[in-house]
Formats: sequence, C-alpha cells, structure tokens
Amino acid sequence: MAVLAVIQHFIFSRVVILGASPDILAVFIAYVSVIIGQRTGIVFGFSAGLIAGFLSGNPGLAALIGTVEGFTAGFFHVSPDSHPTMVKKRRMFYSGAATSIAAGNLFQALLSNPLALPAWVRIPSMVILGTLSSMFLAVLIYQLALKRTLRD
Amino acid sequence: MLSIFRFIARHSAYLYFLLFSGLSILIMQLQRRETLDAIRSQGMAVNASVSEELTSFGDIFNLRDENERLLLQNARLFSKVIREETALRDTRNLNEIIRRDSTRVGRFFVARIVDRRFSPMDNMLLINAGSRDGIEKDMAVLTPDGLVGRVTAVSQNYARVMPVINKDFKASVVSDSSSTLGVLSWKGGNEYVAHLENVPTSSRLKVGERLTTSDHSTFAIRGIPVGRVVRISGSKLFSEVDVRLSVDFPSLSYVLVSSARPSREKLEIMKAEETKTEPKRK
Repeated sequence: MAVLAVIQHFIFSRVVILGASPDILAVFIAYVSVIIGQRTGIVFGFSAGLIAGFLSGNPGLAALIGTVEGFTAGFFHVSPDSHPTMVKKRRMFYSGAATSIAAGNLFQALLSNPLALPAWVRIPSMVILGTLSSMFLAVLIYQLALKRTLRD
Repeated sequence: MLSIFRFIARHSAYLYFLLFSGLSILIMQLQRRETLDAIRSQGMAVNASVSEELTSFGDIFNLRDENERLLLQNARLFSKVIREETALRDTRNLNEIIRRDSTRVGRFFVARIVDRRFSPMDNMLLINAGSRDGIEKDMAVLTPDGLVGRVTAVSQNYARVMPVINKDFKASVVSDSSSTLGVLSWKGGNEYVAHLENVPTSSRLKVGERLTTSDHSTFAIRGIPVGRVVRISGSKLFSEVDVRLSVDFPSLSYVLVSSARPSREKLEIMKAEETKTEPKRK
C-alpha cells in the first residue's frame, strides 16, 4: 500500500492533464473492493488515501476519496461463493474500477481546485480525463499482473 | 436489540463508509492543527527529498547533452584562445616591423624645385639641395602624397631628379591588396598616368588597388605611395595596367629627399650577381 502510494505520488501524479492524472491507487482499491469485499475495500481505500495524502499534503481529502472509491467499487464485488467465471471477474473489475475512479475524481473535482480552473471545465475534465487515464492504467495492470491472480 | 445488530450486520459496509468518511472529514478539519501540520510538514519533507533524488536521477540522462554542450563551448573557447594568441603574435610581429622600419626611415631633406624640364618624353627636375646638404645619388625623392623620383646627379648645392614621369624611370612597386609585384614606368604623354609592367594576366590585381614601392626597389625604401590602378586590360601573357600617379607633377614646388636607402649589402650582392650573369647572357 505504501509502495503504491509512493509510486502514485512520485510518478503518476506528475502526469497532469487539465488537473486530472492516472491513479494507480484507485485501480488497486477497486481491485481489492471487487475481489475481496466492500468493507476491506473501504479500509484499504482509506489507508492508502491517508498515506498518499501525507505525501501530497492533504491526507483528509485523499483518505475520503480512497474511502469513496473503495465503497463504490464494493458494489461490484464478486463473491467467491458464486463461482464466478474469469470473464465475469474481469467485467466486474473494469466496471467497479470505472465507477469508483469516476466517483473519486468527482469528489476530488468538487473538493479541490489545484489549477484554479472554472467549475464547468474542472469537473468534466477531471472526471472524464482522470477516469480515462486511470482506466487505461487499469487495463494495463490487469493484463500484466491482475489477470494471473484472478485465474486462481 | 437483536434487530439493531441485524441491521448493523446487514449494512455494515454503509457504516464502514460513514465511519471512514467521517474520519476523513475529521482529518480534513483537523488538518490545521499543529500535530497534523507537523505530520504534514514531515510528509512534505519526505516528498521534497525524494523529489530531489528523482530530479538528480533524471539529471543523469541529461549528462550526455550537458557534456556535448560543454564540449562545444570548450571548442568555441579554444578557437577564441587560438585567434587571440595569433592576433597577439601578429601584433608583436607588426610592432617589431614598425620598430625596425622606423630605424630605416631615416630623415628627410626638404628641397625646393628650382628648375624643371617637362616634355612629352623626357622630364627632369632640379632641386636646391646638393652634396653639401647630404644628398647622394640614387636617393628617393618624394612628397607626402607619394614618390616623385630619384636623384640621378648631385653637385655641391643642387641635385638632378629623374621623376616618375621620365621614360627611363623604373621602380619596383607592389599592390596593397593582392600584393602583386610590377615595375612602374612611364611611356610619355599624360603626366598623371604611368604604367605597370610585368604583371601576368593570372595576377589577382584589381582596379582601385593602391601601389607602393616594394622591397625590390634599388633606391627607395618600401611603402612609399606611388598611385592607384585605374585600368587593367588583358593581353596574352601580361596585363596592361594604367596607374594614376598620386603626385601632381605640374603643381610640384617642394619635395622631400629621403636619406634612408635600401641596405647597401643587399645592393652589392645584387650587383655582384648581375655582373656574374651578364657575360653568360652575351
């Protein structure tokens, strides 16, 4: 979690397009929440957000966003009891990731304005660009790493 | 009571969410407090130090460009040093030449033209300075404008000068830009125009170039102005060059006689060489 927070802060946070940047933490929060469960997702999101927030200088907001992402992604939780197929797991992961990331970005756009952009630019750009860039990252991470763990 | 526990168990996720959201909001509210400020500043310090490390790590990739830039700058500075050293050396050499030449310029005798004979082919001047004044045969006669001629005969109080505008007069001259050597002569007619002989057609001599006496002259020191090239026409081997003389002969009244002469040793060795080669030619 700490490693992810550090990677997010020192690498991905630097790629900023109109206030939005890809969020590797959000991808893993979504993964935890979808695969393990909503409560774990919330705790993971809160903790990861807190660590990342201490690095960025705004722990409260980062923790809240992490909590929101964990909570939102939890609605796409795949119970192991239902013996889900690989396709279902993937679909639920992508859906959960997209929803939670969009929700996280929406919260971020509403509660912070680092580039002092007007709301009509900031909110859509942060939500759309942030979600798209993070989803691109999610697909990449899924194909490279998460796919193997979901097979088990 | 049981129903409350059942409700909590069923909606535990919402309660988690509310709890952690509340915590987050609490942290947001407490962010201005000193402890959190300290934590935040610690976080900022860690952030700054890691950022600095990352930046210095990124600098490694820029080293190649930086190295190339420094090499170019080094080359520029090196060429500047070479240029300035050359200029310094040239200046030193020029100063040396000036120092040597000033010892050779000697002094001038001022003389007045007391008689003159101007004709289309044979001009001659008579000046009121002779051997008593230190005038010797083959001294150069000039004005600040340029070369007038050479002393051909000396009496006690007078000297005869063969001017440039005499058909027997010859002087070795050199052009200032292309350093073309030639022999100045006058073929009669116009008193302002002389001719430059022995200039090959391959020469880089151009119209407008200034001519001065050369080191090859047997009577004049080098550097006395003679005139300016006004026309060059080509022929098979040698160019025909017209020279506008710098001295205005019709209005000439005073002249300077230069006591400085080419090295006697040089003249003697040239004369000895000529006497050796002459019988062979015959």
